[in-house]
Amino acid sequence: MWGRDIAGLRLTFHLAGINNQNFLMRDDQTGTYWQQISGQAVSGPLRGSQLPFVHSDELNFGTWRAEEPRGTVLQDVAPYVAEYAPKDWDVQMGRARTVIDFHEHGLKGRDVMLGIQAFGVSRAFPYDQVIREKLVEDHVGAEPVLLVVGGDGQSVRAFRNRIAGVKGPSDFYRLPASPASAAAALLMDAATGSAWNFQGCAITGKAAGTCLEPVQILKDYWFDWRNFNPSTTVYEK
Amino acid sequence: MTREAQHNRRIAVATLLVCLVLALLCVWYPLYVIRPFRAQGARELAAALVVMRFREAVTLLCCVAALAALVFYWRAQPRKWRRACATAGVAFVCVLAALARVNIYELMFHPDDRPAFGAAANIKLDPAEKVIAIKIGGAARAYPIRNISYHHVINDVLDKVAIVATY
Repeated sequence: MWGRDIAGLRLTFHLAGINNQNFLMRDDQTGTYWQQISGQAVSGPLRGSQLPFVHSDELNFGTWRAEEPRGTVLQDVAPYVAEYAPKDWDVQMGRARTVIDFHEHGLKGRDVMLGIQAFGVSRAFPYDQVIREKLVEDHVGAEPVLLVVGGDGQSVRAFRNRIAGVKGPSDFYRLPASPASAAAALLMDAATGSAWNFQGCAITGKAAGTCLEPVQILKDYWFDWRNFNPSTTVYEK
Repeated sequence: MTREAQHNRRIAVATLLVCLVLALLCVWYPLYVIRPFRAQGARELAAALVVMRFREAVTLLCCVAALAALVFYWRAQPRKWRRACATAGVAFVCVLAALARVNIYELMFHPDDRPAFGAAANIKLDPAEKVIAIKIGGAARAYPIRNISYHHVINDVLDKVAIVATY
């Protein structure tokens, strides 16, 4: 997700091509081509520019709606609904052929990764492993981070492991029961004894009322993540 | 046939051929390089994107030059079948110029140029459907992946912030 205001212009984008199965878009205002995954201008008058980053989460609709009951949802375009991907699109895409491959870390091209590009480095976490572990405490570069699986067992968010007023990272523990509501406690931390929900906010304890800083996750196939993040490290346990 | 007419004919044929080859390259090369199930090398992709940036102007010039060449050719070439061939060549250049203006990617995946939004409470969507969610200020919005993975690009404004949702 990217901002569209850059260099004093408000850009309007259109699908314009593909670069090793990651698409390119072109803006109407300058004719510049932009890479979808990175938001970087790859050809044209604004080449080398970077679109402003906008934080987003990939969530299950039920989880999102519980958090944001007054939110709005993009509606289908009736004439094209029949052309939309089927409900099991992720399963079908998992079988699709890739045009590039990186045989590293025992990963296959279509393995789903949760990629974090932050703090000057790139790090990828195998999605299935994160789902199994439910709570991952790790570092991205020198920065301690948490990856937390939501109560739906599929949505994942990442946060900086820094609680306001606490020196250094805290130890977090997953609470055993799945939350009954979006605001319910999911984690507890050892430093303050606070309970935290999936939005990264403390709802009880000393830290109540504070929130962890979210970190952008990109859910992506290994081949695509690795292609655009050649120096990525991979979480292995 | 006078020497001058012969000279004009040769120049016209050469111009027409150059226009034809140039227009053909402008359409064919990006299509060849930027195919979905083909690996793109960095250099060839950069070249294809440069071609795509300038091909509308280049093919328009080709069209104008080819038409001018055709006029000269008709004056210098009395044989009807050769005139017909030259005319067909120019028509092909014009067709290529039209094709250079077609965004084939948006023919395959139609754009959603006027995105519409509904209240989360009223949208009928399976709770397990994946969405891309954003929150800016107090405004929250979700883009169902089955929808956005078809249209690929949604130009939007949320809480006065212009954004592009992509998948």
